[in-house]
Amino acid sequence: MKKIKAILENFDTEYVEDYKKIWIKAKLQSSDALLAVAKAVQDEGLRSLSTVSPTDFPDRETIELNYFFEDLQTKRNLWLKCDIPRELEKCEIASLTPLFPGAEWHEREAYSMFGVKFLNHPDLRPIIVSEDFIGKTPFRRDFDWEQHEEDVAKNVQAIVDAFKDEQATNEVNLDPESSETVLNWGPTHPASGPIRLRVHCDGEEIISIDPDIGYVWRALESLVTKKDFVGAIVAVERLCFMDNINSMVGYCMAVEEIAGTEITEFAKWMRVILGEVARISSHFMGLGGFFMNLGLHTLFMWNLGTREFFLDFLESYSGARIATASIEPGGVRYGLDMTMFDELQKALDQFDNTVDDIEMIFVNNPTMKVRAKDVGVLSADEVEDYALCGIVARASGVKTDIRIDEPYAAYDQVDMDYVTRSNGAAADRFKVLFGELKQSVDIIKQAKKRIEEGVASGEFNPTKDHMVKVPKKLPAGEALSRVEWARGEVLMHLVTEEKAKSPYRLKLKAPSFNHTMMLNKLLEGQTLSDIPLVFGSLYVCQGDLDR
Amino acid sequence: MLLIDIVKKMVRVSKALMVKSPAQVDVRYEAMHHPARYRGEHTVDYETCIGCDACNKICPVHAITMKHLPLKKQNIVPEVNLSVCIFCGLCEDACPTKPEKSIVLSGGRYDMLSGGWHEEQNDFWVNVDIPQSYIDSRLEAEDAARVKKEMAAKKRAAQAAAKAEAAKRAEAGEEPKKEQKPFDGTPDFSKGVEG
Repeated sequence: MKKIKAILENFDTEYVEDYKKIWIKAKLQSSDALLAVAKAVQDEGLRSLSTVSPTDFPDRETIELNYFFEDLQTKRNLWLKCDIPRELEKCEIASLTPLFPGAEWHEREAYSMFGVKFLNHPDLRPIIVSEDFIGKTPFRRDFDWEQHEEDVAKNVQAIVDAFKDEQATNEVNLDPESSETVLNWGPTHPASGPIRLRVHCDGEEIISIDPDIGYVWRALESLVTKKDFVGAIVAVERLCFMDNINSMVGYCMAVEEIAGTEITEFAKWMRVILGEVARISSHFMGLGGFFMNLGLHTLFMWNLGTREFFLDFLESYSGARIATASIEPGGVRYGLDMTMFDELQKALDQFDNTVDDIEMIFVNNPTMKVRAKDVGVLSADEVEDYALCGIVARASGVKTDIRIDEPYAAYDQVDMDYVTRSNGAAADRFKVLFGELKQSVDIIKQAKKRIEEGVASGEFNPTKDHMVKVPKKLPAGEALSRVEWARGEVLMHLVTEEKAKSPYRLKLKAPSFNHTMMLNKLLEGQTLSDIPLVFGSLYVCQGDLDR
Repeated sequence: MLLIDIVKKMVRVSKALMVKSPAQVDVRYEAMHHPARYRGEHTVDYETCIGCDACNKICPVHAITMKHLPLKKQNIVPEVNLSVCIFCGLCEDACPTKPEKSIVLSGGRYDMLSGGWHEEQNDFWVNVDIPQSYIDSRLEAEDAARVKKEMAAKKRAAQAAAKAEAAKRAEAGEEPKKEQKPFDGTPDFSKGVEG
């Protein structure tokens, strides 16, 4: 940490301060120095750029850019800020993509949403947004959504024509001499989900892949700013339906930090239990999805059968199976009826009954081992350069897990370890996923025991301790929170104004964005039959890909 | 041994005949799992609703519209569009009435979207049907309250006038002056109750 501070001393900074335990927060006087600072901290070991988050301040005529550098090895992180002018012509800054290849799509996103131009970016095209948003800046504070809808209604024919042109000219620019063709994989492919991969291929062989994303773009980051602090949870949880609890935990932690609220011990343990139940329900689908993409539906069906028992618990607790909306700023939304733990126990028993079969038939499956052993291999270096996280990073041997690195809720009291493998192939990701499933069940057992003990000794009052009041109006401030989501790191950057009733800006960094970026790299030179396998092993969800 | 195995298996299989298979349940009308907190169709209690608009304000998807009643106070009740509603239950949390909430989803019906065939968009609304007799009684109560208030105001005015007159008389008679407090609204009982 001292070394990073020493590096920042060499540059012209407005302030350098400690933030939380493993972060340093600094602001540069001028955006010109960014590239030099980035180079210096990269040499120091902060090799991953988690995300780029612009915040729009129309009053000050500036856009504030936030860069989050991470070191996955030594767990030192840097939050770097700098201001750039807001006018569209002057709104530019040096691109960090040449240094940090993982920043490529994040910078493209900032370009599409805020109109920030990144100089020297290798491929600065709009991403996520559809044709009708190109050239506009939907996430700026003064963007007029009603005017936009009128424009779309007026120009709908032109937009449709442009889209058809794009489809028609898919192959026009290709070399007529070669046999290169463009294949659209998705958005209606059974294994794809709402994503389209433009696969340039020569026969069976893949030349390059250009993912076209944004089919389920809901502009969550903008929606959140239109709701109050409590109502925003329903937008945040829709990051992905499979693990909705942990995304709400991250958001609520940011709100609590700004409000200065400390939640109760009981609420912390409830967040652990609910979070792990959601993680299990997500991992079940991930495991099943992997085999489904290989063409075998049995595991998926088995998993869904067990998953129902865990969803039963969520439904008993919160009243809904999928969109639970059960974490609120200040704790967890409902009190706990201890009889609900019987249902959780039933789910755990069901898991114990089926896990051996799954392990025997699928995890140790000889066909799968042969098929997925050498496909989609990611090295530890690539993981760091592209800021990958979650099971993808751990399958390549990188020890990163925010539950351990930067414990939140009650994870500091949980006994757990990194689940890692070293080879980084598709089969390893599947095995890490399965290992984490077992780990989550273990954590649930620990948390359940702790709550039961606490209730028995009178330490917890399960019907009253679940919530601490958080003021409706928050002071001005900003907070950064990270949670280990089912798919990896979710980073939330929340900005509020004085006496604010709703968030001013919420940046959601979700893991699938980085992982989808890797498709081109992983599949270059492979054959078409590897697409579903590698795509399935990356554990991508379009909900958090597009947001 | 083989025979025992066969018998065992037969017993195991025949057990399944006794239990009702999940596939036999018509889940449109009978849920597999229906906890007390299940967030289903809303019920709105127009008698306890105080018309505070809190549910409408917190609704993240603007599924609630407030129905206006021809009354002066507490003249709005929520109506919910179920095809917009995401069943997050925040309206129930926000409702301030005690001990029973006026808008409740918990334990609500789950078959509103699956039970039968819907021909109209209006089938997806939670409408509040308020009988005319209830509105009339509320109007009467409001009227009575208004009359009572007017009477009270008149009475206060009369008292104030009487007091002013008494003070004038006292001044005219040049009685020894007491320290007079500014009139704070409480009737002066020292002179005996009038009327």
